[in-house]
Amino acid sequence: MIYACQLTDLPRGGSLRLTDLPGSPPVALFHTEDGELYAVDDTCTHQDASLADGFVEDCAVECPLHAAIFDLRTGEADGMVARFPVRAHRVMIEDGAVHLQLSEAVPYLPPGARRSVAS
Amino acid sequence: MTTLDPAPVPDTVPDAAPTAGPGPAAPSSLVPTLGGRWYTDPGIFAAEQDRILERSWTCVAHAGDLAAPGAYRTVTVGRESIVLVRGRDQGIRAFFNVCRHRGARLCVEPEGQVRRSLQCPYHAWTYDLTGTLIAAPNLTSMPDVDRVSNGLAPVAVREWIGYVWVCVAPDPPSFESDVIGSVITRLGDVESIEHYGIEGLALGRRISYDVAANWKLIVENFMECYHCATIHPELTEVLPEFADGYAAQYFVGHGAEFGEEVQGFTVDGSAGHGRIPGVAEAQDRRYYAITIRPQVFVNLVPDHVIVHRMTPLAPDRTLVEVDWLFLPDVVASGVDLDPSVELFHRVNVQDFDACERTQPAMPSRVYADGGSLVPSEHHIAEFHRWVQDRLAPDHP
Repeated sequence: MIYACQLTDLPRGGSLRLTDLPGSPPVALFHTEDGELYAVDDTCTHQDASLADGFVEDCAVECPLHAAIFDLRTGEADGMVARFPVRAHRVMIEDGAVHLQLSEAVPYLPPGARRSVAS
Repeated sequence: MTTLDPAPVPDTVPDAAPTAGPGPAAPSSLVPTLGGRWYTDPGIFAAEQDRILERSWTCVAHAGDLAAPGAYRTVTVGRESIVLVRGRDQGIRAFFNVCRHRGARLCVEPEGQVRRSLQCPYHAWTYDLTGTLIAAPNLTSMPDVDRVSNGLAPVAVREWIGYVWVCVAPDPPSFESDVIGSVITRLGDVESIEHYGIEGLALGRRISYDVAANWKLIVENFMECYHCATIHPELTEVLPEFADGYAAQYFVGHGAEFGEEVQGFTVDGSAGHGRIPGVAEAQDRRYYAITIRPQVFVNLVPDHVIVHRMTPLAPDRTLVEVDWLFLPDVVASGVDLDPSVELFHRVNVQDFDACERTQPAMPSRVYADGGSLVPSEHHIAEFHRWVQDRLAPDHP
């Protein structure tokens, strides 16, 4: 389990890009306007862009670069712009602290991001 | 002069007044105009773009043209392309239409609607509606890239009388003294225009005129009425005093009175629409005209307002967009606006035909020193001095 942030530091409508995670590419953490918390891989599988900078509507995030849409609950891609899913991670709150249980699946990264993680 | 000067004032800029003859002259009926080169010389036009158009407040759109968040328009100010966009916070912002990455034109359509961002079609640098850089390919691997300083370059914006005004200069002049001051100069006070509640009026009709004439010919034409009885039969019928040749703009706070038989400001003098509620009794049945330099004319009549916006495109080409604004319930009712619109549409066509007849003669050798202003046109000389002052090398 990984500590992410205090819930009070992530207001509704906000997002957080978590980097330097052990064995994982960056993760985007969202607190939706409806009060739900979701975490998915931050890097769009279509091209290297940060989903934490994207737009959240209902249970989906839209990539700011080419409008690929991912389901925040499952990581499923819309299949139009992005063909591959991002991983969805488990979010837990304990005493006002937000923790993540990272998925153990192999992340799918677009070419540019694959290079930058490897380096 | 060096070729590095971005907008050189030609060192042979002609004087407005040809050198006078020997000895002091008696007050003359005729005052000289600018010489012909002022209307044709690309160097003078470039200097006007630099020293006037790009340093003044420019009226670029009706606020209603940007109806919803994400609505955008591209407009020309001097030599710059500017994109106007309404944000998700409902505010209207203006940016240089230049991608900060490699300089591609960001928006190429004259108007459009985006959802959340403006994206460069070249490398997909993506800006939110406040101009901040929010995404670009591989931006996450460039954490040192500041998203604000690499965001779109902002342009000063004001909303006034329902219009969007921008100034591309880094230090815009005072909007109050330049724009609102022009209204006060003409009407005597600002309340007189506020009576018309222009910001609450709705766009009833818009007509664009692509005029093959220098922008100053159009300003000069609008400022005088010496031509009215000759080329504006319908207007002179509605405003009989225009036959005297003195435009409303010759005076301060003067509205030209409708003729006795005239019921409204319409092409045939028939009744127009209901008076705008705030219009004062003394303003009823009168026509007021205001020039807001360098590119706006405002015409006030009791039941509507006509706004001219000019975009000088070349020494001999000016785009003029004219809006007819009415009370919202008049526009919503679907009532026929043609009799109202047709009057000033005809005036526009008559005026722009006259300007287009004048433009080809400007390079003539007999007009090298210009022509003459008769007494009812003498106030135009002040406009000429204003243009010359703005182009003077020592003008701040």
